[in-house]
Amino acid sequence: MEPLTLWQNLLRDTERKTTWAQALAKRDAVIRSLLEFHPDGDGDTPHSDGDLPGIPFAVDSRIAAEGFRLTCASRMLADFVAPYSATAVERLQHRGARVVATGNADAFGMGASTENAATSVTRNPWNTDCVAGGASGGAAAAVASGLVPFALAADTGGGLRQPASLCGCLGLRPTYGAVSRHGLAAHASSMDTIGVLARDIATLRRVYECIAGPDERDPTTAPPTPLAGSAQRVGVLDDLSDLSAPVAQNYRDTVAALRDLGIETRPVALPLLPHAVATYHIIAAAEASTSLARYTGVSYGFRQPDTATPEEMIRQTRSLGFNDENKLRILLGTHALRAENYPRYIARATQARAAIRHGMADLFRDVDLILTPTYPTQAFPLGTDAPHSVERKHADRYTILPSLAGLPAAAFPTGTANDLPLGLQLIAPPFGEARLFDALGRILGDAPCPLPPTMTALGGQP
Amino acid sequence: MKYQSFIGLEIHIHLLTQTKAFCACPNQYGAPPNTHVCPICLGYPGTLPAANAEAMRMSYLLARALNCELAATCTFDRKNYFYPDMAKSYQLTQFFAPVGRNGWFDISLGSETKRIRIHDVHYEEDAGKMIHAGKHSLVDYNRAGASLLEIVTEPDLSSGEEAEAYVREFRRLVRHLGVCDGNMEEGSLRCDANISINLPGKGLGTKTEVKNINSARFVRRAIAYEINRQAAAKDNGETIVQETRLWDADKGITLPMRTKEDAHDYRYFPDPDLPPFSPDDAFLADLETRLCELPLHRKQRYERDFSIPADTADFLAEDQQLAQLFDDCVSLGAPPKVAANWLAGTVQAQLKRTERRVADSHISPQRLAQAIALVEKGRLSASRAKEVVELIILEDRDPEEIMTAHGWEQTSNAGEIDAWIAQVLADNEKVVSDIRGGNPKGIAFLMGQVMKRAQGRADARLVKEKLEQALTGQ
Repeated sequence: MEPLTLWQNLLRDTERKTTWAQALAKRDAVIRSLLEFHPDGDGDTPHSDGDLPGIPFAVDSRIAAEGFRLTCASRMLADFVAPYSATAVERLQHRGARVVATGNADAFGMGASTENAATSVTRNPWNTDCVAGGASGGAAAAVASGLVPFALAADTGGGLRQPASLCGCLGLRPTYGAVSRHGLAAHASSMDTIGVLARDIATLRRVYECIAGPDERDPTTAPPTPLAGSAQRVGVLDDLSDLSAPVAQNYRDTVAALRDLGIETRPVALPLLPHAVATYHIIAAAEASTSLARYTGVSYGFRQPDTATPEEMIRQTRSLGFNDENKLRILLGTHALRAENYPRYIARATQARAAIRHGMADLFRDVDLILTPTYPTQAFPLGTDAPHSVERKHADRYTILPSLAGLPAAAFPTGTANDLPLGLQLIAPPFGEARLFDALGRILGDAPCPLPPTMTALGGQP
Repeated sequence: MKYQSFIGLEIHIHLLTQTKAFCACPNQYGAPPNTHVCPICLGYPGTLPAANAEAMRMSYLLARALNCELAATCTFDRKNYFYPDMAKSYQLTQFFAPVGRNGWFDISLGSETKRIRIHDVHYEEDAGKMIHAGKHSLVDYNRAGASLLEIVTEPDLSSGEEAEAYVREFRRLVRHLGVCDGNMEEGSLRCDANISINLPGKGLGTKTEVKNINSARFVRRAIAYEINRQAAAKDNGETIVQETRLWDADKGITLPMRTKEDAHDYRYFPDPDLPPFSPDDAFLADLETRLCELPLHRKQRYERDFSIPADTADFLAEDQQLAQLFDDCVSLGAPPKVAANWLAGTVQAQLKRTERRVADSHISPQRLAQAIALVEKGRLSASRAKEVVELIILEDRDPEEIMTAHGWEQTSNAGEIDAWIAQVLADNEKVVSDIRGGNPKGIAFLMGQVMKRAQGRADARLVKEKLEQALTGQ
């Protein structure tokens, strides 16, 4: 039986719903993963004819669900209620599932720890002194803690894959264009995706298949050209020198486990890996600097009152509404986009991105999937400067590569060390999601990933 | 003239698309503030633009009519600047790969034709409108995201008169193609002018840009003013400042608005949300069928091929439907000059009287050609023809059918006419004897009496001939 079956009709059964909501509140009090929680979901009675009847789910704070606040975890949109729902949300609702919560995150998806959030810091459910990761740390912590069976979350440069690995659940970033971005507040449009967080393969696959497909409201969506075949050959890395000892050991163990499953492993070198972070940050910041320009306080969102002129209102609203990380990236992007800087930054980053794309395509001539770390370390302590902001950006290199190349990638749990989860990443060619599910099924089996001991101790699984 | 002038125009037209440039809101003006808005044109988080197929057709059509090199793939770019009426704080436009480049457009200057080069034609969205109300500033976003096309010329115009001629000819073109209503007062056609002067042979001077010109006449006046202003400044040894100036129509002058130092760096950037647009063969073939003969070319053809007087030719060419009606009528065998006179005279008068346009009347080339033929053959009188034209405007019937039903056909039956004349002569002996006595004044009266008796059915020429015979023959 699929784990998701346990959640069926939960929202239509008052008794079960109450028990679940109470357990959820108890668990969330520990990790503070949710910004809003409404056990009655998004209002109307859930469909019973869909194949996800009465199943609750959460969305990242950057994903629009009508009636819920689309805060982007920023002061800028603290009171902004979404007047419409994302296409991905609508498709799930159409099958009977219901949004019940929004997940905390780094504001506008900028950060790797959910410490850059407007209202609260989300904690790692395995060790509350550690970060949940980010940007979409709230949604990942909520799913890993069993609050909801799955969540939709944003992934730009690793926003859902990194917290999935740090919290110990599965996180899928789909092929760029496979899932509509309609309803996803932009950070870097050419890399933004809506992905899925879950604790088992069957749920991950079911949700992905439900939300994928072209949408006329997002002209960058494309009809899928699914890749057939299972993974026979997996590309693996030789150089693990930049990984923490537990992650490196875990990587070696996982490669061995793949061989035990009869999968051939072949060494690969990732293209332009040392330049990936610079390339990503130039492009993402450039796009963010224009995408976030719309937050001016003129027609919605936070507005600094009592200013002398409209121009002054815009200036002060933006000064107060954005956090430091947002401002850093907006300034960086604005600088890079200046006419005299364009050739030096944007043109070169665009070239590097094309080279990465081609380099990845070349690798996939010889292998079906590529195994990489998700993040060089496990979850790090909260509220410290270590690793500092630049190191954290650099640490995103493995998740950034598929983002730049528009490739699907899944973070998956590979055990624990020091009572913290370990996780790695599998990358597939475009529209190779089915191949990812197939490989993950063979590696992980059907069972859901283990809940953190702190959470099982609180009881109350549906 | 001591100085040579260089004028380039930047014309913005509102396309006549049903919906806005990148969302499904109605592309209309004059509605109550903020009623034609949606999350997309308000720039709400999470919304994405989608290109408008109709707007792409219109854009390529105009670029094609302006003889541009059409982009095999055109792209959409963000032009970044903060202003409260710009919902996303960037305008979607085309900077890197516009719809069309390197075109030309001919204008008529008296007896001469001048070719004006087109730099580019690019598609973009409009901004909203800021309204200052006392201490408050309000924004109406109805116009935000409306579909615009900007047409930029090279600095090939050399006077206010030429610029006015360009604007008038261009306006006629966009109306003919059906891509814009060309209304400058309402702002559906807006014109900015880049003006510089220099000593002959010295090339372009430092330019100023004049904005806020909202009629073809003002284009001439604003440019003439600006040329004189720059010339006077140069004569005084001043340097021309590169700046943007506003045309003040009430005072008839231009005033400084901002200098180059305030100029924005728009940080142009390819929009990641809109994929490039690549017209396919069917799209391009469809353009050719929508392309009509340009008004100027048409006018010149009418003059050259049909010897139609310039003002009549101009009148016909101005209105696409009228011109098409004329061409079709002629190809059905109507004599061109006669058909032109009909269209400029009777048809135009009756359309006005009935408050119809060709499109909402029942006139067809066949019917018009038939009516003309009836008159030419003497079966219908000129005065009855007017009534027939009115009826083919209002009723879905052929002229011959109308004529027969009303008994308006002129008779050429000699016996019938002779009988009417005999009767009239008998009833007016006094007049007849006066005429025969050498006073011809009464002839017109007798003629009128015969026509009255014939109830308009008699061919006037025949009646006149026979009446004269009858009066002199005895």
